[in-house]
Amino acid sequence: MTATARLINETTSLCRTCKQAVAARVVVDGANEVWMHKRCDEHGEQRVRLSTNGEWYERTRAIRPKSAPPTGPTRPVDKGCPFDCGPCESHAQRIRMPVVTITSACDLDCPICYVHNKNDSPFHMSREEFGRVLDNLVRESGGELDLINLTGGEPLLHPELLSLIEMAHDRGIHRVSVCSNGVRLAKDEALVEKLAKLDARIALSFDTFDKHTDRAMQGAALVELKHKVLTLLERYGVDTTLIPVMSRGYNDHEIGAIIKMGLELSCVRHLEVHTITYTGQGGASFDRSARISMLEVLERIEETTQGMLRVGDFVPSPSAHPLCYQIAYLLIDEQGGPPLSFLRFMERDELYACLEDHLYLEPSARLEAALQDAIDRVWARGGEDDERALAMLDRLVRTLFPSERALDTKASIRVGERAAKAVYVHSHMDEDNFDTERAYLCCDSNCYADGRTVPVCNYNVLYRDKEPRFVQAPQSWGARTGGQRSLPIVGGRRGS
Amino acid sequence: MSKLLEGARCLITGGSRGLGRAISIAFARHGARVAFTYRRDTSSAEESARLVREAGHSDPIVLQGTVTDSAHAKQAVDAVVSAWGAIDALVNCAAVMQVLPISLLEEQDFDNVMAVNVKGVYLFSRAALRPMIRAKSGSILNIGNFSSERVIEAPVHYAASKSAVRGLTEALAREVGRYGIRVNLLAPGMLDTGLALGMPQHRMREYLEQCPMHRVGRAEEVAELAAFLVSSESSFVSGAKLAADGGL
Repeated sequence: MTATARLINETTSLCRTCKQAVAARVVVDGANEVWMHKRCDEHGEQRVRLSTNGEWYERTRAIRPKSAPPTGPTRPVDKGCPFDCGPCESHAQRIRMPVVTITSACDLDCPICYVHNKNDSPFHMSREEFGRVLDNLVRESGGELDLINLTGGEPLLHPELLSLIEMAHDRGIHRVSVCSNGVRLAKDEALVEKLAKLDARIALSFDTFDKHTDRAMQGAALVELKHKVLTLLERYGVDTTLIPVMSRGYNDHEIGAIIKMGLELSCVRHLEVHTITYTGQGGASFDRSARISMLEVLERIEETTQGMLRVGDFVPSPSAHPLCYQIAYLLIDEQGGPPLSFLRFMERDELYACLEDHLYLEPSARLEAALQDAIDRVWARGGEDDERALAMLDRLVRTLFPSERALDTKASIRVGERAAKAVYVHSHMDEDNFDTERAYLCCDSNCYADGRTVPVCNYNVLYRDKEPRFVQAPQSWGARTGGQRSLPIVGGRRGS
Repeated sequence: MSKLLEGARCLITGGSRGLGRAISIAFARHGARVAFTYRRDTSSAEESARLVREAGHSDPIVLQGTVTDSAHAKQAVDAVVSAWGAIDALVNCAAVMQVLPISLLEEQDFDNVMAVNVKGVYLFSRAALRPMIRAKSGSILNIGNFSSERVIEAPVHYAASKSAVRGLTEALAREVGRYGIRVNLLAPGMLDTGLALGMPQHRMREYLEQCPMHRVGRAEEVAELAAFLVSSESSFVSGAKLAADGGL
């Protein structure tokens, strides 16, 4: 630490080599950059840059999320965070995004893959096991579980995927999203149609428009394939989330174009931009100079959307640590004009409050009241820019509340989702930038049939490579793993 | 259950859905001959007619038109009189409700709601009064709403229209009482059907908090009260406002 560095906070991180817990100091240096400094007795001094702007980091970190501790059983603290997950009794946030890993099979071998997969005798979660996962989640949510994410591997390789989606819907979960690289969707239009009929949502990875970048990040040239998939998803009206992973110097200059494409496609409901993370079979050995912080992603978004979305248009999620999720909502102009950020007409605190109980905006009394307040304020202000906002809001209100008939809840959600789209930026952690302060507040968890839940970053860094269902040779605690990519399935069989 | 409206010749505006449909069915169940109007949705009107037939009246008169059209009002009343010889009761139920804050409330929105909810009541009442005055008997029932009182925040044009209907009811009751014609106002609270379904959630929550019975009403509950109010059982009730709102 240099003489000009100022301490922001102390926390617990992990050694980048042995993954043992180590004390860490977060400081802002003379260049206004935020760094984490730590030292492992065995592997020495380590440091990683967390942010390029000290003021932004401190201002954002100071926002206290809504207190919402886990509702289910917790495990006693023994070894300390992040080694007692289940969650442990110190965990401070309930699950807002339950993630269920239903398969270890994958038909790609991405250099940025942040999990371990296994194609030899792949694991496919049984219906019975999945049912127990759902039952636990529904019980612990008090019957208010509104979304679930199925992931892998490549979930579309699960032989009973459609049945699993039906099981989730049968338990009252209305957003059932399925992560996908799109390979199978491009080959199987009938499957896209079935997913549409099941009201499933596809979370499609989409990193780049450039084939060279695609090869570097996904290990294959898939740009044309992804466009074909999007055409099919659009044709059948499958609700879609685009998931670009941002890496500095590779694709961060493309984020504006990806966002604009997502806003233009009617099937796309949200974009969830991830920062690259160095875990898993591919990610652990990926180019470390590509690390990009949350703020840098927000700044790239502002630059590459030419100010359509600004850094100041994002608010943190009240359900997570403020350095983990940043969220912007945009009102879509059905007459073809540029989308308008909610924060151009709504107070920051109001949007933040509306996001308190869900990861996504849901129709609610609070949201309706906030929108009415926003309309009145914009109307009273009467500025030149306000006229356009008012006209867009007017069209939305008249669609949501037609004078001669009432929309049911499902129809209201549809109208709302077509009228407003979200851009989420989600910053994952690896052993380098791991911060237990963030882990305590994680609302995304990998969920098991026995009721255990493990926050996803903890899971990716520490837990997945211990499971025989995901790796051929499960690791022991204290061993560094990664950089051992599996071979993809090609044509239904393992490649050679 | 005794039949309150045996043989009564009744015209109900806005009978294809919501409370208008429930009133049409209840009247038929009470032995009335039922005619109802609707504006646009023919399949809903056909469904109402089917339900009216099921409830006991084999041959309802179904009339399409807008209540803001004076010719339609006259034709509807004429159709009832020519089919059944007279008109005993008119229920002015057709209305529109539009959720708009004042900041988005344009002149056209205001005019439209006032035209349907107020002018429509005036046109149909005036058309029905000619045969009623000739017969020196009749009953007009207007449908108000709790939003004309200061209970919860309501769209101002809608609340204004329902307040106007209350004033119209009281004035008309005074004017035509001498002919033995009664005019009353029935003001339901939030119901499980019709216009209330389009209310924003925060307004609905506010309503349920303030309603002593903490529930919305059923259209059938209000329709029964409507049958009572136009029947001879309430022969000395005129110029009244009856609320069916769970005690607001």
